[in-house]
Parts: sequence; structure tokens; C-alpha cells
Amino acid sequence: MSQPMTAREATSRPADRRERVTIVVFASLVILAFLGLGWRCYYLQYAAADHYAGLGLGQQFCSYLPLEPQRGPILDSRGRVLAASNQIRTVFAEPRSLADVKETSSELAPVLDMGPHEICKAILDSGNLGYAPIKIGATAAESDAARMIHGIGVQYAWQRYYPTGPLASHVVGFTSTDNQGLGGIEHQFDRELRGKGAEHTFFVDVHRRPLAFCVANASGDTGMPTNGVGIILTLDATIQQFAREALLEQFKAFEAEGAVGLVADPRTGAILAMVSLPDFDPADARHTDPNRFYNRALTDQYEPGSIIKPITAAIALDGGAITRDQTIFCENGRYRGKYQGKSFGTIHEFREGFGDLTIRDILAKSSNIGMAKIGQFAGPELLYQGLTLFGFGKKVGIELPGEAQGRVRTPDEWNAYSVTRVPFGQEVSVTALQLLRAFCMLANGGRLTRPYLIKAIVAPDGSIVNVRPPALRVGYAIKPEIANWIIREAMTAVVNEGTGRRAQLEKWQVFGKTGTAQLARPEGGGYEDHAYVVSFVGGAPADDPRIIVLVSIRKPNYAVLRGLTGGGAVAAPVARVIIEKTLTYLEATENLRGPIEPPRSASERGLMASGPR
Amino acid sequence: MNESRGRLADYITMVVVFLMGTGAVMVFSAGANLSYEFELQHFYDFPALRQVFFFPLAVVVLLAASCIDYRFLRLREVWWRSPLAWALLVSIALLIAVLLPGVGTQINQARRWLRISVAQVSISFQPSELAKWTIVFFLAAVGAKCGEGMRSYWRRFLPLWALIAVVCGLIVREDFGTAAFIALVSFVMLVVAGVKWWHVLTLLPPGVAGFIAALFQASHRLGRLTAFLQPEKYSDTIMYQANQSLIAIGSGGLWGKGLGQGICKYGHLPEDTTDFVFAIVGEELGLAGTTGVLLLFILFVSLGLAVAWRCRDRFGRLLATGIVLTIGLQAALNIGVVTVVLPTKGIPLPFISAGGTSTLLSAAAVGVLLNVAAHSDRGSEEATSYPQDS
Repeated sequence: MSQPMTAREATSRPADRRERVTIVVFASLVILAFLGLGWRCYYLQYAAADHYAGLGLGQQFCSYLPLEPQRGPILDSRGRVLAASNQIRTVFAEPRSLADVKETSSELAPVLDMGPHEICKAILDSGNLGYAPIKIGATAAESDAARMIHGIGVQYAWQRYYPTGPLASHVVGFTSTDNQGLGGIEHQFDRELRGKGAEHTFFVDVHRRPLAFCVANASGDTGMPTNGVGIILTLDATIQQFAREALLEQFKAFEAEGAVGLVADPRTGAILAMVSLPDFDPADARHTDPNRFYNRALTDQYEPGSIIKPITAAIALDGGAITRDQTIFCENGRYRGKYQGKSFGTIHEFREGFGDLTIRDILAKSSNIGMAKIGQFAGPELLYQGLTLFGFGKKVGIELPGEAQGRVRTPDEWNAYSVTRVPFGQEVSVTALQLLRAFCMLANGGRLTRPYLIKAIVAPDGSIVNVRPPALRVGYAIKPEIANWIIREAMTAVVNEGTGRRAQLEKWQVFGKTGTAQLARPEGGGYEDHAYVVSFVGGAPADDPRIIVLVSIRKPNYAVLRGLTGGGAVAAPVARVIIEKTLTYLEATENLRGPIEPPRSASERGLMASGPR
Repeated sequence: MNESRGRLADYITMVVVFLMGTGAVMVFSAGANLSYEFELQHFYDFPALRQVFFFPLAVVVLLAASCIDYRFLRLREVWWRSPLAWALLVSIALLIAVLLPGVGTQINQARRWLRISVAQVSISFQPSELAKWTIVFFLAAVGAKCGEGMRSYWRRFLPLWALIAVVCGLIVREDFGTAAFIALVSFVMLVVAGVKWWHVLTLLPPGVAGFIAALFQASHRLGRLTAFLQPEKYSDTIMYQANQSLIAIGSGGLWGKGLGQGICKYGHLPEDTTDFVFAIVGEELGLAGTTGVLLLFILFVSLGLAVAWRCRDRFGRLLATGIVLTIGLQAALNIGVVTVVLPTKGIPLPFISAGGTSTLLSAAAVGVLLNVAAHSDRGSEEATSYPQDS
């Protein structure tokens, strides 16, 4: 209001003035109301905006069925499929968006070749307002036609197939019905195999009809799924088949509790076969006794017994505690004595007693007393260090879940008993995989070696994203000449003239070592009666070992054994069959290559050696 | 001085045209709905397109009305020579006509429209809108003519309220909101025109009784009121509309989803082009849009107040006050309903909501306001030449 106006105001009559005041009061009230509404808008759109935005998303945002990526395949080293996913289509209805269920049903019936009543029932019986499956496993033509009907959709899902069945069940593992890896490689590499899913999300109108496809969602993905990677194993399905066949026969014949068969290339540590019995069909894992899921090669820990003798002998030789041409008196089968003034009780041989034996013969005849004396020469420190170098007491680091680590006590926990028992495989606990690793080192001239299962990881487009030879380790567990002597002299003697004669082959010089370990009582001290782990570890050819085979059979039925108690009798024949078949097969396919081109770079060179050539 | 008043009228024109333009854009955005299949011949059936057509028409009406001297509307000594008296009679006649079955058209279970079909185009007309403006204009004219005589209870106050009661009574059955609003505006007009306070108080008992009667006459009104008091309990039923409105405004946030990017208009929010268009403004333009619209209305009321304050002619002053307060109150009530400060009531947002009758009549009223603004400076003598009291 300008100044002259107010001057004139003063002259106007009281009624006029009152009227103006009334007008100002009312107008001010209206303006105040607007200001109040502005505050209300500020509250709704700033303070409570997130709340209402959330409510809005709840009713306007519809994330349509997620697009599952294809789970990557698992292949053996020659590209044979061990696990793969196939697409299945499910035609479904969204009951809440159907105006007339009957009408939709009769419209859908000829498309799916089903009865309208059947469809109607499927829709009405589903408790879910957003998803009522009608036909699972529809053909592409059926689902394309059904999709055109309002309220009907097609869901694409993946079903996992295991074409080799139980062959490599413990390595490959299995998946749940919603494609979650639950065992073996499927579990260990679940995230990589799974890929990255995507969702089709839309804003919808009040009838839940989609308005706009929202590509840019919070995670910033493209709306398209990324398929999982493929995993190529070092495993060779053929060798796996040899190992499983031979092992299963013996496993059944002796009504054993469990059995493990391992085949590895000692030069690299690549595992060519890994069998654990009892096994299972990954496709039917849901109906399987969970105890069958244990991969006994990694999870069973036991005192290895005589099979460890070449290792402890090698440690003693390497440490200079004994010499190769030394002769040790084996007390004719009964040995009582003291170590550093403390009694270590009585030690017996497994069967007959021996007189003077060379180191080679102690191993060939598997003398416990000879090993006990070697143990005394070596002493706890050397034995402990040696066993640790050979990888006992720590995990191998295989690419599978659930590996046990075994146990080697530190020297300060050792007593006189330990020093005389550890050399023939008591008072330490190991897994079959640890034994395999130790013998791989022995057969590899004492070089540090680590068993591994993953040969390569392949992206969905076929490019290799990750070649996984184990980290190249420089170093030796023992001197090469000692390792070679153990393999070529002592362990061939075991096969040629000692306890492992049943592993002999005409074509190749086999080396090996038998073991018959008593199982410790689960509670209290001592050992169970007639409960053994019979085992054989060996390989061929002795002058340049191509493969290492480990067979161990847990708790064969004593009644069936009928005196065949030794690893030489039960496990060696299995190993013989595996070695023979595998070497024949490897020689026959000498010049064949795996599916992957040999890599060029230095860091990938390990792969070239790993594949069976 | 002259120039400044001319500028006042220009400012009001700017504000109002801006508001109407915003309305046309927002109604178009809210009405651009996938669920219709568009046919050009029937473009008039699409509220959004119709509103785009009404916007320029309303501007023309506004400018035309501003050219007519408002004093032409004043009451003459002989009642049948007064245009406002005739307007009032016509309004009442139309209100009666719309209630007759076969004449009035029912939309949303309410008989509020007269539909005149011309070839393929059918024009709907809402008589209650006309009645609202004639009552406001008539009361301004009576106030100006009677002056101090307005203080007489029996000779002025009661007969006027009887008239208002008749008009409201004709409307209340089909449109409770508009009837209540007309009563409210009439009350404001009479208070401004100088009736005594105790006169107003005597209306309280019959007023309350009538309100309660109207409430119980239609069960949905009572339901709406109880639902308003317990909003969570009825979010899917009676409060569905209010709830959707809050979601629309709230989800807009500070800057909104962007013009045309709103989701609520796709069937989630009913009445999105008409009474609840402000919610779409909130959703698509955010707090910036809602405060913008509120500021424009505050500006309009302030400018209107300035016109009324400066006007020395009593009729012009009362007329300006009536027009400004009617539009301001209606806007405040509508926004109050949309932001769920008030219970849901069918009152359109002036200038912005879709609806031809409302838009064109509001434009005409603002035209009159502009004319008052233009005339208010021309000679104080003229102002005094009109009888102020009898």
C-alpha cells in the first residue's frame, strides 16, 4: 500500500475501515492456510518422502520373475561334460491379473494341449496370487503362444544334469532344486558357476499391466543375466571310470565301510581321478543318505600305518641318520627297549620276524621293528620336520570343501613310544589326499608338489579367464637322489619281492607300498579289533613315474577277509588294475590334446604339463 | 497511480494465466493414459485434450470479461432490470433442472451435470458452479446496495440466508462439498458486508442440524468422516483415494519424478485430472511444483486483496473480495483435501483442475476482478455516488 492511500484511508468512515479490516483478516487467514499447506507439502515431500516413495514402489513396482543365468558346466580335462544345465520352461498364470479364470483357462487349453478344468484348478489351487504354475517343461512353441494371453507368463528355469551319474559325484558335487551348489566343486565354486542373475522390473498400472521396463535399477545391471563360468577339471572321466570300477568291485567284495581311490600325475600334482565310496547320484542327492556325501579322500583321518614307511625312511636317509647300505637287526619279531632311558613297550612285526635287514628290505618286507630303530636314529625333530615338509598335519588346499587337516604332534609332545611308532605310521593322523601328495613329491624327485583339481576356468564366451596350475613352488622336501632311490630301489622291491607283489605288471615296472593300519578306538586308547584300513600306494613306470595311484579300503569285513588282512592282498590288486588301464589309456592317447590349446606364457606353462598327453 | 493499478491487473492476469497454463499441462500429463485408445473424432471425450482446448478459451473469456464494466452488474431499483437477479433465477432453474431425471446426467453416482449434445460433441455443464458465482456476485451487489441496512436481521439477513439455504438445499443432495462451500463463502461475504455477529450466531443451530442431517442422509459421507479420523484402518477402502494421494505427493520428493514421468496417474490415483490434480503436480514436479502452485495462489490472493483495499467503490470492493476469497478458499480447501488435512470432498482446484464449467466461470470471475482493478482508481466521486446506506 502506498503512502497517499493510507492518508486517504484516515478520512473514510468507520464502517468502511471495519470492512477493509475484515477483508484483510479473511485474506490473511487464506494466506495462512496456504502457508500451512506449504508446510504440509514440505512434510510429505521431504520429511516423509522416503516413506511414501516406499509405499508407492510397493504398489507400482513389479519385479517380474527373475532371469536366472545359466549355471556353468563342469567338464573333465578332455571336455567331457560332468555337469551342465538345460533350460526348462514353465507356463504360469498370475491369478490376480486374471479377470475371468474360466475364460483364460479355456483360451489356454488348446495352446498347452491340456484340459481347461485342469488349468482352472491349477490356477485356483495355487495359494500365490502372483504365480500359479500350469505346465512345467513346456515346449518353445507352446510357451511362445501361451505368453500372448493376458495374465499368462513363461518362466525359464535351469535344470542341472549330471550325465556321468555317480562317476565323479564327490568331486563334482550336487545342487539343490534351486540351483545352489551344495557339495564338491558345485559348492566350492558356486558363485562363479552361478553367474549373475537379472530381474525384469516394471512400473505397473493399477491393473498390474507393465508401463515401462526399468533398465537402470539400483544395482546398475543391464537387465540381462550373465551366465556362469565353466570349470575344467584335471580329472579324466576315463581314468575316473577305471578307478571307480576297480575300487567298487573290491569295495563290494569285502563289504567295506568306505574306500578311496586316487590317481594323480606326480610331476604336477594334477588329480586324474578321485573316487570315494560309497558314492551317490548327484541328480538324486535329495534322496541320498547324507553320510554318502563325505568325500573320504579329504575327510577321513586315520593313522596310516605301514604305507608311510617310505616317507619316514626317506626323511631319515635325507637327514643322514641312516645310510642306504646300512643293515639293521630286526630282533626276530619282538622288540623291547628304551629310548633315552624311557621304555617304549613291545613292538611286534605284522607277521613273521626278521633278522638283519637292509633299509631296502625293511621297506620291502615292511618291518615295524626296523622302522622303529630308524626312528630312534632319526629322533623326533628330524621326523617332525620331514613329515611337515611332506605336507602332513596341514591341509593340501584342494579346491573342494570340507578338507581335514590331519595331525602331526610337535616334538615336545613326543615320548619314547612316539619316536618308535611314528616311523611305521602310528600316532600321526593323515588323509588319503595328504598321502597322495607325499608320494607325488617322492615320485617327483622330492620336489614340493600340491595336488589340484581345477585345470581352467572358462568364461561363457569361451575365453579362458583363469588357468589354475597350483602356484609353482620351488623347493625340495628331500634330495632327489634319495627320493629316486626310494622309488626305484625300495618301492620297486616292495612290488617285485615284498608285500606288494600283487601289484606287479609285465609291461611297466610298478613301485609301491602296502599298508595295513589298525583303526584307533573312538574312545580310550588302543586299537579296534579287526578294524583296518588296508591301502596301497604306488605308481609306474618306476624310472619316470607317470602316475601315482592310492587305494585305501576302510574296514573291510573281517569275516570276508579270511586272513587276507594286508594292504598287499586287498588294495594292491585294485591299484594294479588302475595303473594298467590308465597307462595303456594314456599311451594310446599320447598325441591327443585336451580341449584347451597349450598356453604360451611362462606363468601358464604349468598347464601344459598338467594335462595327460 | 493510474499506471500502478494497471500493473496490478496485469500481474493478476499473469498469475492466473500461469496457473491455468500449469493446469492445462498437468491435466494433459495426468490424462495421457495408456488405457484409452485414442480416436481423433472423439477427442472431446478425453478430459486431457478437452482441457488443452479450454485453456485458450478461458484466456479469451478472462480478457472479454475484463472489458465489461463491472458496475453493469449492480442491482437496479427495479429488480427485473438487474442482470444478477436474472442470473440467480437462471441458476436456480438449472439447479432444479439438473435434479430432474432425464435432464441431468449422472457421473460417479452423482447427478451434477447437464449434458447438451451438439452433433458428435456433447458439452457437460455443471449448474452448481454457476450457482456458486451468482450467489457470491449477488451477495456483493446486495451488500453494496443496502450498505448499513445489512445490519437488519429481519429485512436483510434472514431473507438472504433463506435464498442461500434454497440454493444449498438444491445442491446438497448431489454435491455436499459444493453446497457446504457455497454456505461458507456466503457466510464470509455477509460478514465482510457488515452483518452483526449475533445474527450469524443464530444460524448456528439450524446450520449444525442441517450439516448433521446431510451427513446421515448419505451413508458414505459419515463413512468418509470416520475413515478420516482413522486413516490407517481404511487405507484400502474409503481412504484409498486419500492414501493414493499421499503416495503420489510423497513419492514426488523434492524435485519430482519429472513432467509426465508419474506412475500414480495410471489408475492408481482416481480423479487424477480433476479434484486430485494437485497430487499429480506433487508427484511429477515435487516440492518445487507444489510450493510453486501455493506461491502463485498466495500471490493471487495478495494481489486481489490489494485490488479490494484500493477500491473505493463498495460494490467493486465487495465483488473483488468475493472473487478473491472464493478462489483462495476453494484452492486451500482442495489442497487440504489432497494433502489429507481435510476429509475427502469433491471440490476442484481453481484454474488447474480439469472441468470446463469451473475453468471458464473462474476465468470470467477473474475478468470481473481485473475490471474492478482497472476501475478502482477512476474518481472517488463516482464511488460515493453509489448509495452506501439507506
